[in-house]
Amino acid sequence: MRREDLTARVMKDMDPELFDFVTTYVDSFVKWDLLRFFHENPHTMDTGENIARYAGRTAEDVQTELQDLTRRGLLVEMPVENMRVYMLKTDPEIRTRLQQFAEATQDREFRRKVIYHMVRH
Amino acid sequence: MQTVKRVATGIPGLDAMLNGGFLPRTANLVEGAPGTGKSTLGMQYIYEGARRDEPGIILTFEEFPEQYYRDAAAFGWDFRELERQNKLKIIMSSPEVTKADLENVEGTIQNLIAEMGAQRMLIDSITHFEGLRQDPVELRKLMYGYLNALKRQDLTLILTRESTHLFGEGLEGQLDASIQFLADTYIMLRYVEIESAVQRAIVVLKMRGSAHDSTIRQFEINAQGLKVLQAFEGQEGVLSGSPKRMTESFMKAFVRR
Repeated sequence: MRREDLTARVMKDMDPELFDFVTTYVDSFVKWDLLRFFHENPHTMDTGENIARYAGRTAEDVQTELQDLTRRGLLVEMPVENMRVYMLKTDPEIRTRLQQFAEATQDREFRRKVIYHMVRH
Repeated sequence: MQTVKRVATGIPGLDAMLNGGFLPRTANLVEGAPGTGKSTLGMQYIYEGARRDEPGIILTFEEFPEQYYRDAAAFGWDFRELERQNKLKIIMSSPEVTKADLENVEGTIQNLIAEMGAQRMLIDSITHFEGLRQDPVELRKLMYGYLNALKRQDLTLILTRESTHLFGEGLEGQLDASIQFLADTYIMLRYVEIESAVQRAIVVLKMRGSAHDSTIRQFEINAQGLKVLQAFEGQEGVLSGSPKRMTESFMKAFVRR
């Protein structure tokens, strides 16, 4: 069986909205950490360097992923003086989806599926 | 004479020390060693505001919001629910970002204050500002601008500051002189050792524009939060951390009248 078929089979019984969220935003462990971080700290407003420190990652790793999550519409990037500051988008729908994702990750089976998805990526 | 409406902290005993509470649009410093109860005092102030329909913001530079949710829950204060009701927001950021943001006309913090109608703010803690400027004069200017920007928003602020000394006065660092000058109220929390037991002491060292109780009082942190108790009687040198009993003659002359 091809890897793509296996992943599709693993993902097929996932809630469609969660499936959409995972395929849109979660393609690396760094992004996963950032999603968890912004879920737990939804009013964070800080630079990539500081967010990396809070999330226990390197600034280089985090910067690229923050920009990517901004491009995909989950975060907002704002220029403040000579800094680039990141915040979670205030859109209630995005925050609800993030909440659903965070709750779902408490289930081992769901986490396994997300990992399959990331590996495929 | 017109009476100024006070901003009550809701902390039993502290409002009486403050002659009813803080004066509106003031910056009030709470300084103490780790674990003395600075953040708890600040959270209780914010919670009291939410209870009175005076929304508040916690600006944290060191603790994760999760820590506040958990610590507050231990006292029966549901901070997550208050966030849902738009009576509280916990912002995690850094001094340099918030400083720059406050200087923007349409800054995020200013917008949030306006949107919530925030009246109270806890900044936990200002110790982190020390890294922004080496020169004490520059640091003082920076702090002055920062606090004024927040006061302009009609906020009554509590600023916490960490003292590295567990006992005794031990004030140190560049911020000392600056912040004590800039703060309208200066509250000090201390551990004191009395008869081989560690107790907590609180004193209001300064309150600009208002009378206040300047006795050194005991306080406890119980299941409801902070509670200020009686003054330390018959002790001297309480702020040194190791008070001594006053002599009988001194007691007769100055205390037992």
